Amino acid sequence: MSENVRIDPFTRIEGHLSISLELDNSRVTGAQCSGEMFRGFEQILRGRSPLDAQQVTQRICGVCPVSHGIASVLSQEEAYKVEVPKNGRIIRNIMLAANYIQSHITHFYHLSALDFVDVTGILTYTGNDRFLKGIKDWVQSEVQSKKLFPAAPFLPRYEAKYLENPEVNMSALRNYFTALDMRAMAHQLVAIFAGKMPHMATLVPGGVTEKVTSKKIALCRSKLGTLKDFFETSYISDLFAVAGEFPEYFDMGKGCGNFMSFGVFTDDRGEVLFPAGVIVDGAQQPLNLQHITEEVRYSKYSDDSGFHTTKPEPHKQGAYSWIKAPRYNGRPIEVGPLARVLTGYESGMQPELKAVTDKFLQATGRSLADLDSCLGRHAARVIELQVLFKHLEQWIEELDPAAPTCVDFRLPATGKGIGLTEAPRGALGHWLDIKNSKISGYECIVPTTWNCSPRDNNDVPGPVEQALIGTEVMDTSNPMEASRIVRAFDPCLACAVH
Amino acid sequence: MTTLTRRQLLELGSKITLLMGLGSSAIPDIAEALENLASGRAKVLWLQAQSCSGCSISMLDSEAPGPAELVTRYISLLFHQTLSAVTGEKCMDIINESSSEGGHILIVEGSIPAGMPEACMMGHTPVTELVTRAARSASHVIALGACAAFGGIPAAENNPTGSVSVVEFLKSQAITTPTLSIPGCPSHPDWLVGSLVHLLKYGLPPVDTLGRPLMFFGETNHHKCPRFYDYERSNFAKSFSEEGCLFELGCLGVVTYADCTLRDRNGGINNCIKAGAPCIGCSSEIFAKNASLPFYRKGERKS
Repeated sequence: MSENVRIDPFTRIEGHLSISLELDNSRVTGAQCSGEMFRGFEQILRGRSPLDAQQVTQRICGVCPVSHGIASVLSQEEAYKVEVPKNGRIIRNIMLAANYIQSHITHFYHLSALDFVDVTGILTYTGNDRFLKGIKDWVQSEVQSKKLFPAAPFLPRYEAKYLENPEVNMSALRNYFTALDMRAMAHQLVAIFAGKMPHMATLVPGGVTEKVTSKKIALCRSKLGTLKDFFETSYISDLFAVAGEFPEYFDMGKGCGNFMSFGVFTDDRGEVLFPAGVIVDGAQQPLNLQHITEEVRYSKYSDDSGFHTTKPEPHKQGAYSWIKAPRYNGRPIEVGPLARVLTGYESGMQPELKAVTDKFLQATGRSLADLDSCLGRHAARVIELQVLFKHLEQWIEELDPAAPTCVDFRLPATGKGIGLTEAPRGALGHWLDIKNSKISGYECIVPTTWNCSPRDNNDVPGPVEQALIGTEVMDTSNPMEASRIVRAFDPCLACAVH
Repeated sequence: MTTLTRRQLLELGSKITLLMGLGSSAIPDIAEALENLASGRAKVLWLQAQSCSGCSISMLDSEAPGPAELVTRYISLLFHQTLSAVTGEKCMDIINESSSEGGHILIVEGSIPAGMPEACMMGHTPVTELVTRAARSASHVIALGACAAFGGIPAAENNPTGSVSVVEFLKSQAITTPTLSIPGCPSHPDWLVGSLVHLLKYGLPPVDTLGRPLMFFGETNHHKCPRFYDYERSNFAKSFSEEGCLFELGCLGVVTYADCTLRDRNGGINNCIKAGAPCIGCSSEIFAKNASLPFYRKGERKS
């Protein structure tokens, strides 16, 4: 029996996404991933001062502005031929890494957890945690009230299997709320040098305007210590709790099998913590930017649109998404924490990342190939954070209050630059062209553009679409399996379309 | 319903009184407002249009009350795209039924693609329609953030979607629901929480001609600038690495009405100008509007 299911709007992600599924005997045979919102950042940037770009592009996304800002200043620094001093480089690493922490905590707890944690479990709570007792009273009174939508925004929800062990469930639920404070604290860690978050104020070509002081170093240490404690005692155990009760999700949501990382977190010697690399058909290869194209057959842009041209055509026949379809050598590619872990692991140059990954695989009795799955994507965030925490601690100690954080530069009349980095959600590139001291071209290819892309000119579905195909959906009025698979990619739609 | 103890309410009231810059005599009133909020009278429907979610993320950074307290004790958050457990079709039921019932506070984040309604869709419905319906039956509308209040970057010069601010859009639909503009990119969580409390206790707070609450946007950033002394002595930084007043680097603090330099961001950790970054005027009505007015200048006096 065939059936169509539409999840629209798809919530608890950033932005406007809808998912359409075709099912045959409960199994997904076709999937469409649609970006539903368009603003036109690349058009808006043209004609502006290139210096505006790191401020304007940060506003593409309120969840990962740090990455856009950094991609933009990298592209400008290439065009201006300016070198960032050591302090500036370290501060950027700290701000970006702290935002990884913010983004991953937000993703696991506030976007994904409600697919696994049973909020109604609070009604049977008998412990003495004052906060949980308050939440219990609230849910109880809400459920008994005559409100149209009691206990919003936690109810209604899809009815499905949730965590069954009451202790594990309660602990994860408590951590949902603690994690709100933790993600705000990670933002504070960014803001120590960024001035504010979201949307950093201090990032400029040549470095960062904020200075290093011993007080700031101490603040960083303190915030980082609290965050690390939460990560080690709560985040990791909650991930294992979910993995323990939903092991089948290691076998669900296998994507397109191709992965790419642009590389991120450069040190003094120019070495990168998470290296650039591409895996296609299981084989690791060096990144070649010439292989990147953007296709628009199913995207709401004119047929001559692509990598460097964006002409909106909202009523284009057959188009179902505002997202373009970027391809690498004609192939769909998955980007994100899983891609970073796999490309790093396969590179043979990252013993630390490999050790953490192996330890995780050992603890769960899984193979590296199993990470290409719904649960594997959640696990990859934890794996990379484990590596990142250690390096963040080192970077903070490398800051030097006596040294500059930025250098001056001259704005050229013409120039070109490419800024590549890794956002929490994956490979991010900004391509900048300057003529007459103004932006003459600005193109962004953003992580979710890759992951949530529609079918390409050859009708090959994008990574999220491929991850959905083959999934068994037990109850089509509560398509929880599909929701969990899509959410594990951490889609950011404001980024994907921009 | 959880009711906070009188003492807790007074404590919280005093924190909010402080953040709103009201005198101590307002403490019991604020406590009462919170009590009203706690009794579930404040239904809030939060819609995102052409947004980056930055104002939602900023709201999550709220300190006192924090987001958990806000959602479980002070407001009934009927729907929020990033936080709601509900997904899919049922979301549309909530939005539509809430709009039919009315009496809610509508918070809109993001600008409105008035010239291309297909550029922002939810449940096959243009967000222009959803906002129109929800605003018509709302008790109040809050246009949250630079985009909703003034159009922001999506409505900047050369934008392809005919994007406008929520305020402008509602006007074009002849909707007269009282509307507050809380700009900023993103808006400061105190600005939203303080405005909500004021709205529920005293009604609409006094506003300037652009609909911004005077308690937050009554003076310019320049007024309480930590670099004011440098400005007075004409000690101007000529590059981003130099100390001094940031005016010649393009700082718009002199014309930008907001209390950023006094309030600080992210739990009091920092603010733009303090951190050596010129104010880019994100709470101003002209923020990002003109391609020819750059955020920064280098060693060139702005007149």
